Amino acid sequence: MTVIVTGASRGLGAAITQRLLKREVDVFGIARNIDGVPCDAASCDVSSYDSIKRVAKELKQSKREITGLINAAGIASMNLALTTTKSSTQKILQTNLAGTIYCCQHFAPLMIRKREGAIINFSTIAVAIGLKGESIYAASKAGVEGFSRSFAREVADFGLRVNCIAPGPIDTDLLNGVSAGQIKRIVAQQVIAVQHTKDDVCDLVELLLDPRSNSLSGQVFNVGGV
Amino acid sequence: MEYTEALKVVRSKVEELAAKPNLGEETQLIGDGSVMDSMKLVELCLALEDHASEVGFEFDWTSESAMSRARSMFRTIGTLAAEFAEQSQQ
Repeated sequence: MTVIVTGASRGLGAAITQRLLKREVDVFGIARNIDGVPCDAASCDVSSYDSIKRVAKELKQSKREITGLINAAGIASMNLALTTTKSSTQKILQTNLAGTIYCCQHFAPLMIRKREGAIINFSTIAVAIGLKGESIYAASKAGVEGFSRSFAREVADFGLRVNCIAPGPIDTDLLNGVSAGQIKRIVAQQVIAVQHTKDDVCDLVELLLDPRSNSLSGQVFNVGGV
Repeated sequence: MEYTEALKVVRSKVEELAAKPNLGEETQLIGDGSVMDSMKLVELCLALEDHASEVGFEFDWTSESAMSRARSMFRTIGTLAAEFAEQSQQ
C-alpha cells in the first residue's frame, strides 16, 4: 500500500514523506529534483499534464497499490497582484491549481480500482482571511478548495475521500520574504493564535489518511482555525 | 484488433456494468438516453483500459485527440468500439 506525495523534496512535502516513512508507510515521492528524496521517487513537474500522466502509467505498470495521494507541491510569490508578472501569475496557477487537478485526474483512477483511497490537497489560510499581498497565491488555492469539494463528490461513490489542509504560516521556503511582523499578524487571525509547525500538519495528514476518518470528505481543515 | 472484436468487448463490458442484456451498436452511453450514469462510464473506461493492457496495447481514454473530436467517442457502444479498435492498431 503506497502513498504518493508530491513536492516530496522540500518543505511540507518532505516533512510528510519523512513522517510517513517513520510510520513504515510505503511512500512514492514526486518532485522536480528527487536528489535526496528518501524513498522511491519520480522526477516530474506537476504542472506538466503529460509528465504526470507518464508517472501514473508507470505506477500502474508497476502494480503498486496506491491508497493515498498527498498533493503538497506548490509555489508562492508574495506580491501584490498589480505587481505580479504574467509569467509568475501563470506559473503559480499552473503549479498550484492545474498541478493538483492533473495529479487527481491521473492518480485517482489507480485508487478507484481498489474502491478506497484518501486524497489530501493543500490550500492556505490566505484563502480564508483574504490575505493582502498573496492574491494570486490565494486565488490558486481557492481554486484547489473548490476543485476538492466537487471532486470529493465525483469520486465518493468509488470509495475515495478528498480533503484539503489549509495551513497558516508554517516555517518552510514558502515563507521566504515574509517578515516576522507579517507572520505575527497572520497568526493573530487564527482561532488558535500560535504559529503551527510541520509536525502539526503531518499529524493532520496522518489523521486524514487513517480509515478512522472515513466519514470526512470534501472538507477544508484550517490548521489553527480561522 | 478489428472493429467486430472491439464491439464484442465493449458491448460485453457495457452489458455487465449496466446490467442490461442484448445491447446494440447504437446504444447510447452519454446523454438522456444513456444506459449508464457517469460513474459507470468511468468504470467502463477503466475496464477497457485493463482489457487493453491484457491484450497488449494502451487504451487512452483521456487523450486530447480522442476527446476533442467533434463528436465524442462515448456517444454509443459503436463509436466507442471504433475508437477502441483504432487505438489497438496504433
